[in-house]
Amino acid sequence: MARNKFDVDEELEEQFNLGHLKRMFRYLKPHTHKLTITAVLMFVSNIAALLGPYLVMDVVDKRVPQKDIKGVIAVSILYMIAITISVICLKYRIRAMAKIAQAVILDIRMDIFKHLQKLPFSYYDSRPHGKILIRVVNYVNSLNNLLTNGVINLITDLLSLGVIVVYMLIIDVRLTFISLAALPLLMLVMYILKRFQRKSWQQVSRKQSNMNAYVHESICGIKVTQAFSREDENLEIFDECATEYKTAWMSAVKINHLIWPLSETISNMGVAFLYLVAISWFENGISVGVLLAFSTYITKLWAPIVNLGNFYNQIIISMAYMERIFELLDEPVIVANVEGAYAMPKIKGDVSFKHVGFSYDEGHKVLKDVTFDIKAGETVALVGATGCGKTTIVSLLSRFYNIQEGTITIDGHNISKVKLESLRKQMGVMMQDTFLFSGTIMDNIRYSQLNAADKEVMEAARIVKAHEFIMEFEHGYYTQVNERGSRLSVGQRQLISFARALLADPKILILDEATSSIDTKTEIALQQGLEKLLEGRTSFVVAHRLSTIKNADKIIYIDGGRIVEMGSHDALMDQKGAYYHLYSAQYKIMTDDRAG
Amino acid sequence: MKELLWLWGYIKKHKVKFVLGIILVIGFAAVSTMIPYITGTIVDEVIVAGKKERLYGLLISLMLVTLARTSGAYGFSMLFESISQSTVYRARKDIYSRLNKLDFTFYDRTRTGDIMARMTGDMEAVRHFTSHVIPNLIKCTFHLVFSLSMMFMINIWFALCVIAVAPLIFIISALLAKEVKPKFAAIRKQFSKLNSVVQENIAGNRVVKAFAKENYEISKFNKQNKGFAKRNIENAKVWEKYLPLLDFICGLMVIVTVLIGGILVIQGILTIGQMAIFNALIVRVNMPLRQSGWLVNDLQNFSACADKIIGLLNEETKISNSDNAIEDVGIQGNIKFEKVSFGYGDEPVLKDINIDIKRGEKVAFIGATGSGKSTIMNLICRFYEPEEGRILLDNIDINDLALKKLRDNISVAMQDIFLFSDTIEGNISYGFPDATKKQVIRVAQMASAHDFIEEFPESYDTIIGERGVGLSGGQRQRIALARTMLKNPSVLILDDTTSSLDVETEHEIQKMLEKFCQLRTTLIIAHRISSVKNADKIFVLDNGRIVEQGTHEELVNMHGAYYEVYRNQLGDFDNASIKEECI
Repeated sequence: MARNKFDVDEELEEQFNLGHLKRMFRYLKPHTHKLTITAVLMFVSNIAALLGPYLVMDVVDKRVPQKDIKGVIAVSILYMIAITISVICLKYRIRAMAKIAQAVILDIRMDIFKHLQKLPFSYYDSRPHGKILIRVVNYVNSLNNLLTNGVINLITDLLSLGVIVVYMLIIDVRLTFISLAALPLLMLVMYILKRFQRKSWQQVSRKQSNMNAYVHESICGIKVTQAFSREDENLEIFDECATEYKTAWMSAVKINHLIWPLSETISNMGVAFLYLVAISWFENGISVGVLLAFSTYITKLWAPIVNLGNFYNQIIISMAYMERIFELLDEPVIVANVEGAYAMPKIKGDVSFKHVGFSYDEGHKVLKDVTFDIKAGETVALVGATGCGKTTIVSLLSRFYNIQEGTITIDGHNISKVKLESLRKQMGVMMQDTFLFSGTIMDNIRYSQLNAADKEVMEAARIVKAHEFIMEFEHGYYTQVNERGSRLSVGQRQLISFARALLADPKILILDEATSSIDTKTEIALQQGLEKLLEGRTSFVVAHRLSTIKNADKIIYIDGGRIVEMGSHDALMDQKGAYYHLYSAQYKIMTDDRAG
Repeated sequence: MKELLWLWGYIKKHKVKFVLGIILVIGFAAVSTMIPYITGTIVDEVIVAGKKERLYGLLISLMLVTLARTSGAYGFSMLFESISQSTVYRARKDIYSRLNKLDFTFYDRTRTGDIMARMTGDMEAVRHFTSHVIPNLIKCTFHLVFSLSMMFMINIWFALCVIAVAPLIFIISALLAKEVKPKFAAIRKQFSKLNSVVQENIAGNRVVKAFAKENYEISKFNKQNKGFAKRNIENAKVWEKYLPLLDFICGLMVIVTVLIGGILVIQGILTIGQMAIFNALIVRVNMPLRQSGWLVNDLQNFSACADKIIGLLNEETKISNSDNAIEDVGIQGNIKFEKVSFGYGDEPVLKDINIDIKRGEKVAFIGATGSGKSTIMNLICRFYEPEEGRILLDNIDINDLALKKLRDNISVAMQDIFLFSDTIEGNISYGFPDATKKQVIRVAQMASAHDFIEEFPESYDTIIGERGVGLSGGQRQRIALARTMLKNPSVLILDDTTSSLDVETEHEIQKMLEKFCQLRTTLIIAHRISSVKNADKIFVLDNGRIVEQGTHEELVNMHGAYYEVYRNQLGDFDNASIKEECI
């Protein structure tokens, strides 16, 4: 049960992993064609855009001294053409990149979501849901940046670096090398800064997620907090979270804000050095145009270099995200269709467990050698103390988990050999915790049978005695509910999910504490309605109330993962064993005076 | 405007930093304009006029100006960051304490996601505005002012030519900002839809699998996922329209400089150095204009977000300490309801409730789902306030009691159990963080929770999830019960706390409770007769009214609603032999 608390920083690996990167770029593969075109266009666009300083030089050094006004106009027109070309390329790039990026993100997210649908309960049980959510939504979005802006900027930056250097070389080779003199210094400074920067931003994001997790939990648990009047303590804890975040932020920006001033200073030093060398050391001086062109090119040269540093950082940070995403995608689907799985034919309802053994995690056995046979149409009640394995048995029947020993068959078909969907579709399960989707009550009941007519939905609600209270709401069946449904009481939620299970018109119905929070009167009315309905269906009932249990065709008494007694109510009563004990104990509790 | 005033309330605590920051920004803009001037001078004086001896001085001043500029930039960036962090920190804390004070009515109608949005996205907008938009607005304004002044000083006509294109940049930026704003909003909205689909799918994974609805879920997701991609592409289309245009016009300014500047230099009206200055200044005129649209957008965004934050901060709580709230009083635990009526919105839930409970009594409530049992408990804790009538604790109107006093003395285990993502020990000691391990174990034993807790490999240090995932319903109920008992309250409220337990475990717990509750007033809500029959008094609720009250025996003899329930539950025991044996 490895779980995370809000104040535990989530450790993310930050190492360069080529395998992850390759796998990620595989998503780009279908778009190779578009990417290539984009890159070529970017190359053209760069050449055109970076022509500017060269043309300025031409005007200053040649046209002006020659008083060639026509030449100036000609150069201007040429420049105009260059800009137009570059602008058209830019337009194409924006469009192409948006399309590629979105297609890739769409694919990744879809892959993850589809995989999630296949993962077993155990996956969801062992981690906070918030952390799964983050992988599907936020981490994928972060990759978006890397894949699109990152990759395309990388190409653009590399291209413009090359183009700038070529332009510089064309104008003056010596000056080119002088201009690049400050480059190693800049790269060194960037390298050092980026390392600190990355670390500090990771710290920020950890502290931020801790703070948000705490706020989120505070809101969800506010009723408990107020009931225990623990507001002051919580405020202190929050203060700590917020302060840590603030401190992390300040130390991160301390480095962040250094980057521009430093690169600007170094860049200007380079320009000054260029002036110094060009003007005072070169014998025949240097022309104004060349100087202007070079100082412009130097400035333009710096931006891609700073960007490259950013890209490297981005990749490293994204590595951690990729790792998480792939970890999810690689999560083995334990409960899956086996090879040669066939569709479960229409279920009659004979259920049999043969020597079934099961454990959630290695070692701790929850069920041991469970064997029973149920005929179609029978009602079975599972009885036993909290935590004895009742819920586990019914979960295995829907194959929510794989069993380790024995076999479970329905109508003689081994449930591990049939297609999952065909099996589960024919079962109606009502679980201990009732989950409602946000939407109307109508939608929630209809969830199990999407093409059911309104009338059928209402009929199901009537049978479980939910119709009356639903109609009391102002919007009736169209009342909006949500996950936690503050408007509905626990009992009302149970009734709605009961109706949902019924609507599926299942051959096998599983009711796991379906009515624990429902009052006796409603429960009895409900049972009368159910009786007709249950005819011809096999049903498994987990309950503590004897009223629910004693009418069952078969009662299975479980203790410590084993079946200790099995039979009808009367038969078990005659046995005077565990069930008898339970029954009479309850009766005693019911009727005894407070001395009991 | 209101939003800016609100922000100023936080900023003004750092007046000195703020003023210093503004001075640095203006200084930065002024110094920035000097760099092109120095470059131009080098061109004219050193290269053209050949006064090489002036080069060193000019280069040194170039470096000094650069240093002043970059360190100034660092200075104001950090100053504004620090102001904005303090601001956001305080605002967050204000929200958090507000959240602690807000009543259940607020939480019933407000979604968690919306509150989270105030704390995250909206707060981020405030941070961005304070640390980035404010200095940038000032910077852009002064860059424009200084650069234009210098251009006009050099040559009015040339300046006018170059600037002729400038309004276009401004207009296009503004158009872009305007058109892209709803696109961003649409992306955010779609994002939150996508988020909820995934979030519900994860939270409801059991239901999805139970009904084999994976394909339906995938198609639901696919719709939102595609929608998200579509919104993003629509956004890109706006950029595609304007960004190239902007680039083109900015390029046009350079062309104008080259063309007109070239001609003017040829005619001897302008020096080459002056043209170089223009060439460099153009960037500094371009940038503010290009940014103007964004800054306006940011400003709008800030007011929208700040407005929502202010809304949350101003959210009224009906339930707070009255002016002369009584704090200094020992609570015995006598509870009295006098003609209490209550409703959620238009729906009446409780009607004319009169209850009188003496200290140390054990009182039970029974009744149909939705009959108002939990509401009575909520009213006693003053989570809601009655619409009519009053509730007295030890003959003091609970509205006159200090809230903390009231709630410290009442301990409630709610029907809807919420456990925190903390260790089991942390959860049990939630209401009493200073409790010793021994005390924690003791209450866990009383709640019959100790044994199963010990079975976990990490025992009391096992971390459990937000909604207690990984624990069965019965286990959750017992931990919640232990948490409630640790508080040592005068009044104990158990709202359907044992419904997921088997009758025997429940009975064991009840026996322990009997001892625990000797001097405490205990209120129990339950459906099973076995849970309520030992109570000193049982109230039967129906549709918001008390229809029957009395002891178990009295109610049974009354042959009314309670008797009906009793008979039904007892009817389960039709085996005569057992009856004989037991009675």
